Amino acid sequence: MPSVIETRSVVVEYPSIRGVLRLYDQGVSVKLDQGDFLAVLGGSGWGKSTLVNVILGLEKPIHGSVSFRDHDVTRESFVKRCSLVKTAAVFQRPTALPQMTVSQNLHLALSLAGVPRKERDERIKEALAFFGLDKIERSYPDGLSAGQRRRIDLARALAVKPELLVIDEPTGDLDGSATNLLIPLLRGLNRNQGTTIFMTTALPRQASQAKHQVHLRPPMVLTPENRMIGD
Amino acid sequence: MEKPSWTPIVLSGAIPREATDLLAILVMGIVALEASLATIGPPVFGSRLWLPLLVVPPTVALASVSTTTRRTKEELALFAYGGSSWQILLRYFFRGAICALIAFSPIILQGFLIPSSIPELFLPVLALLLAGGLFYSLPSLRRIRSSSFVEHYKS
Repeated sequence: MPSVIETRSVVVEYPSIRGVLRLYDQGVSVKLDQGDFLAVLGGSGWGKSTLVNVILGLEKPIHGSVSFRDHDVTRESFVKRCSLVKTAAVFQRPTALPQMTVSQNLHLALSLAGVPRKERDERIKEALAFFGLDKIERSYPDGLSAGQRRRIDLARALAVKPELLVIDEPTGDLDGSATNLLIPLLRGLNRNQGTTIFMTTALPRQASQAKHQVHLRPPMVLTPENRMIGD
Repeated sequence: MEKPSWTPIVLSGAIPREATDLLAILVMGIVALEASLATIGPPVFGSRLWLPLLVVPPTVALASVSTTTRRTKEELALFAYGGSSWQILLRYFFRGAICALIAFSPIILQGFLIPSSIPELFLPVLALLLAGGLFYSLPSLRRIRSSSFVEHYKS
């Protein structure tokens, strides 16, 4: 069976003021099969979010490739990738439409994912209740706390019932009780529904809850001098 | 003893130098030009529309640019929900076209009431819709295609 995602020797570079910031100097290779739960562990600024963006097609690597179900999607968009593997993403920074209420945001996400209208209400109700958002379902995201907006994103992603859940530092803005709920929830999703999960974290304790782990290395800054030596 | 001065704050920001300032100047300039030309004679529908049409690109661009922070949030959310660039652009294209259509409705209605040929009537309206849509969606296209756009997903 083809793997859900495979990245091969991905290298990403950022031109900076003094030289080039190179993430994954030797390249990063990651493989996720159906039902895997992978945690990518690394410090702040080591490229965890960049790897998420590369997997989702929002950033393009300078070397290496990304495949979804054995299709090379390195240069393809997120939408194209979603057509190969039903994917939901939760980013580090909350992303809810400011002019829509919490519940309308979930409705929009489900309608974009092609969930039939009849099913939407039930799924939204479930997701809102699970994340304790049912009392603020008519509120607008801008008036809510960072933790509440984070929970909207999680509710939105999980309501879609994705095959692949890509989640960048899931407990970033959550309080202790929500954090304690989330990791078991992800494990349950993975175990019971077979959802493949790609998660990044800076916390080894959190990473240890996943089936597999990948440790990133610190990025390398290439100044014009050491670039010449390297080349 | 040195006395704090308030003038640097005022003077350093008094000269209009941002893109939105320029757009506002352009809109007002075109309106002023139109007002001064209005005394020349009563034009037919088509020729009455061409000068106000010039107001459309800078005005809708100004509307689009002035809410960049909110608009970026919208774009980030739509991408995260599985939307594509062209869907987002189309969303703004329609919004811009509708803005222009509503604003120009008095002139358009007047055009329908006076006897005139079809091309004379529809071509300026088509140009109006295209200009409204295009210039409203262009700032969004620029934002989405910029290399810093996805950095907003990171904290």
